[in-house]
Amino acid sequence: MELTTTGFWVFSSLAVLSAFGVVFFRNIIYAVLSLISALIMVSGLFFTMGAELIGALQILIYAVAIVVFYVLVISTVPEFRGKAFETKYMLISLPVGFLIFLELAFVSLYGAWKSNTGIFTPEVIQEVGNIKAVATMLFTKYLFPFEVASLILLVAMIGAIVIGRKEHVIDEEAEG
Amino acid sequence: MELLGTVVVLTIKSLIFIIGMFLGAAYLTLLERKFAGHVQQRPGPLHVGPHGFLQPIADALKVLTKEDLVPDSVDKVLFYLASLMAFVPAIMILAVVPFGDPFTIFGVEIKPYITDLNVGLLLALAFGSISIYGVIFAGWASNSKYPMIGGLRKAAVLIGYEVALGFALVGPIMMAGSFSLREIVEAQQNMWFIIPNILAFVVVIFCILAETGRTPFDVQEAEAELVGGYVTEYTGMKFGLFPLAEWYIATFVLSAITVILFFGGWNPLPLMGWLPIPAFVWFFIKVFLLFMFFLWVHWTLPRYRVDQITELAWKVMLPLALANIFIVAIWIIIFG
Repeated sequence: MELTTTGFWVFSSLAVLSAFGVVFFRNIIYAVLSLISALIMVSGLFFTMGAELIGALQILIYAVAIVVFYVLVISTVPEFRGKAFETKYMLISLPVGFLIFLELAFVSLYGAWKSNTGIFTPEVIQEVGNIKAVATMLFTKYLFPFEVASLILLVAMIGAIVIGRKEHVIDEEAEG
Repeated sequence: MELLGTVVVLTIKSLIFIIGMFLGAAYLTLLERKFAGHVQQRPGPLHVGPHGFLQPIADALKVLTKEDLVPDSVDKVLFYLASLMAFVPAIMILAVVPFGDPFTIFGVEIKPYITDLNVGLLLALAFGSISIYGVIFAGWASNSKYPMIGGLRKAAVLIGYEVALGFALVGPIMMAGSFSLREIVEAQQNMWFIIPNILAFVVVIFCILAETGRTPFDVQEAEAELVGGYVTEYTGMKFGLFPLAEWYIATFVLSAITVILFFGGWNPLPLMGWLPIPAFVWFFIKVFLLFMFFLWVHWTLPRYRVDQITELAWKVMLPLALANIFIVAIWIIIFG
């Protein structure tokens, strides 16, 4: 067996195990811990498939930048424990979950089928590296979606600042 | 068979790096104590061995043989796990740091690095920031007020400085055209990247101080207000692992990365290339000087308030890092 195959099986089984942990742990801090573990294992999967850039960004953005905010919120709320799920929620969560699963399955299958057709074949990527391949596509063919995404993020950021802002006017009235 | 060979070679290499780092970190504690002593006009450790030279070994024995107290109300699994989660990522950064060019001894080519990925710098950043969980979970698992506040402070500080650090690293990457730390060093043979990237260097210095929790930014353990911060409930070697990971290993490894990014890595000093000094000696001289600089800052300055630190991160460091990208881009257009 090759090293990458071994790595693939180790990472994927650990990722599935941690994902079960996220769902089934009652103590929410353990659930977050398994979430971190699942994300790191997925990044390991990316590495075994030769997508180093996505693997590194996966750790940096998902496992650290995003989950840190979860941890921050959860650990400031005392005695935050999960409750046993009620059956009435399953009526809605099962179909929605199934729909999301279908969408993900479609996207990954379509992506796997499409990925062989572009100009960046595995040999070209071996030569120029992941970063140049991603950057070339991002700043030529997908420039418009990229800019739209950054604009949406900017709008979200301004919205968050407006909501989180302190109302200085009221303070002054209260003092005066 | 090939698999076995790769695994064995990688294991031996990693073990050499890790053991070397452990011994190095032990003696970095002695260096720091001596330095602190002389800053404060006292001799520092003096009695164990000649001029206190065996002090780190005595310290290690003392810490290892201490009684390992675990308070009753802590979350035991996380309490043990947290000390490892602070320590392991700091060691893992070593996997991407190159210490020199490949060289040949007795006909065997030796590469003084574990991997040379083309995303090395990003991985170093990722591993560096993942060690934050050790501190946060240590604070949470201790089930006590002061560690909790310490952990949350660390999280708030790190979120701000990670962003600035990420943007500061863009400058050298733009100039080298690569994320691979080895290629970044090779791109600096004629001129170090400190020349147009001086703003980024300032930002990186602040970020390393914040990320490793050294003094102007050590709000997470601020002895005067928080007893010991997130390590308050820890004893013995579990207590020892936190400063070992943050103050010594992380500071040393991040200094090495800074040297690679801004000071030409293992390239010799300007006008001194004719001296018969091997490349990795140059590298360690530079890393040592930078490490001493951090010690100097640590033992000289008082501590910032936590709101001042986050304000500095978002209102000063982030704009500086962005300005640096702009300056470097113009520099590349004119001279590149």
